[in-house]
Amino acid sequence: MSRNTRILMSVIYWAFVVYLFVPLVLMVTMGFKDSKFIGFPIRGWTLDWYSEIFRSAEVLGAFGYTMAIALSTTFLSLVIGTWIAAFLGPHKFRGKLLVFALACMPAVIPGIISAISLRIYIQFLQIDTGMAAIILGHTIHNVPFVALVVMARLATLPKSHIEAARDLGADQLVAFSRVTLPYLKPALIGAGVFCMLLSFDDFVRSFFLGSYQPTLPVLIFAKLRSGMSPEINAISTVVLVITAILGIWAERSMRRMNKGTSV
Amino acid sequence: MSHDAQTIVHIENMTKRFGNVAAVDGLDLKIRAGEFVTFLGPSGCGKTTTLRVLGGFEIPTEGRIILDGADVTRLPPNRRNVNMVFQDYALFPHMTVGQNIAFGLELKGKTKAEIDARTRELLEFLQLGGFRDRTPDQLSGGQRQRVALARALAPDPKLLLLDEPLGALDAKLRGQVQVELKDIQKRTGKTFVFVTHDQEEALTMSDRIIVMNGGKVEQDGTPEDLYFRPQSRFVAEFIGETNLISGTVRGMENGSVLINWNGVDIHGAAHGHRPTEGSKVTASLRLENVLCHPQKPANSNAIEGRVVNRLFKGSRTSVDIRVGDTGEGALLKAYLDPGDASRIRDDRLWVNWDVSHLSILQA
Repeated sequence: MSRNTRILMSVIYWAFVVYLFVPLVLMVTMGFKDSKFIGFPIRGWTLDWYSEIFRSAEVLGAFGYTMAIALSTTFLSLVIGTWIAAFLGPHKFRGKLLVFALACMPAVIPGIISAISLRIYIQFLQIDTGMAAIILGHTIHNVPFVALVVMARLATLPKSHIEAARDLGADQLVAFSRVTLPYLKPALIGAGVFCMLLSFDDFVRSFFLGSYQPTLPVLIFAKLRSGMSPEINAISTVVLVITAILGIWAERSMRRMNKGTSV
Repeated sequence: MSHDAQTIVHIENMTKRFGNVAAVDGLDLKIRAGEFVTFLGPSGCGKTTTLRVLGGFEIPTEGRIILDGADVTRLPPNRRNVNMVFQDYALFPHMTVGQNIAFGLELKGKTKAEIDARTRELLEFLQLGGFRDRTPDQLSGGQRQRVALARALAPDPKLLLLDEPLGALDAKLRGQVQVELKDIQKRTGKTFVFVTHDQEEALTMSDRIIVMNGGKVEQDGTPEDLYFRPQSRFVAEFIGETNLISGTVRGMENGSVLINWNGVDIHGAAHGHRPTEGSKVTASLRLENVLCHPQKPANSNAIEGRVVNRLFKGSRTSVDIRVGDTGEGALLKAYLDPGDASRIRDDRLWVNWDVSHLSILQA
């Protein structure tokens, strides 16, 4: 690579970094602005917006509601997704590809289409809009991701490990819980965190399937309509910090565990 | 003659088909308690399938498996008292060495004290004392192999199955582990059923070798039987290096068989069968059983030959000898000691052998 190309490459790289981070930096900065309006110039700084959101029953309620949905969704998605992976992984049968494609479809259907069809579906099932409906919608969307991640991990589990467990006296259930599940742990953590983030972040499904209690993204959307205020920036910054910590933790623990199990 | 009292497992007329292919075809044999039995053969000969049937990982298409007097043919692996050392060891990566060894004991419902004592005993026995709290990825290949052995021995199985457990070790270590494994088998008195494609491994360790080919038994005997008295061309060629001698039977003479081999009259032994006069036979004569003499030995029917090719191999010299004065095919391979090699003049020598070493093959 010539000197000029190298300079050009690093310029492009840094331009991209700026392009990625400037909006985030602006968002975080505005959360500390001592004014009701977002924009420059900034004449004073304050933590009032943060103290306000941590005292606001509306924001805290939405946060708790969203967390509860995310946790339930993650639990259900992990159980169903692992079950599908364990079922599709080792068995050979007619139409396996079809089952696999069907299981993966919710992941690729556009959010708005999925949201509308789910709305019709819950009406048909006579499920009221609200928490149960949102959990149902999120779970259907998340299961394929879990199934794919777990299947990939399962494919690397040597058959002899299960056979060794059976040989030493384990029935199928014990072999699964004591050998397969621990082996899947890094995949389950990764998939679980991904489910949490997907569910926490989701707007379209939560909007269509929710009732009067808004989730956090729906609340932010509602607040936006009454005008941009630094309060929104403060909420978003808190969400950003939590998701970043969660993501980094998942990445690190997966890396550590993968190293330990690559025997 | 019945060995029923000592028989630990009886493979009764067992056939295992995968689709239309019979991996094992009508195998019928008894394994005695305390034996080190090796199934030897090329890949696809049915040896591994036989082992997996014994372990309960495959259910035979036909026949039965009688383990210690009980029919276990259809019992799953967790319900038969048989343990296996896997080719890749299959140690559980998320458990320590101690937890791996304890796994089978826990599932047998042993108390914590019993498990502790047995684990300690096995770690001691296999010289793994300091490794109890390590995980498998912190061990060397040889150590992993010993942990796998300890884990399989822990539940005190009636039969220990070993599926090519030395394949993953380097050549130097393999020789050492062969000795160790044989020693462990002797000290525990357990019945070992070993599977390998490595004839040297089989000869070194086994009390009894079962050579398999195409799903059937080619020969079943001691390592010496197989090496010096092979019954088929397959066995003669699969184990060690040999001279295959084809000729016509001319008759019996003093209890040995007289064979015309490209115009040369030679003597051989038919172990347990009688070839008819005039029939074509093939016989096997090991290279090291060909005795070479610089001068014609007195009182013997040694035949004259000429060295046509020499290969110096350090402690001995490998030679090709043309025997007799006619015929293209009358070639014999043999080894020369350094002393003999230097005393042979003009490449002329005399060869003979112990009659029982020229083993006439069946069919």
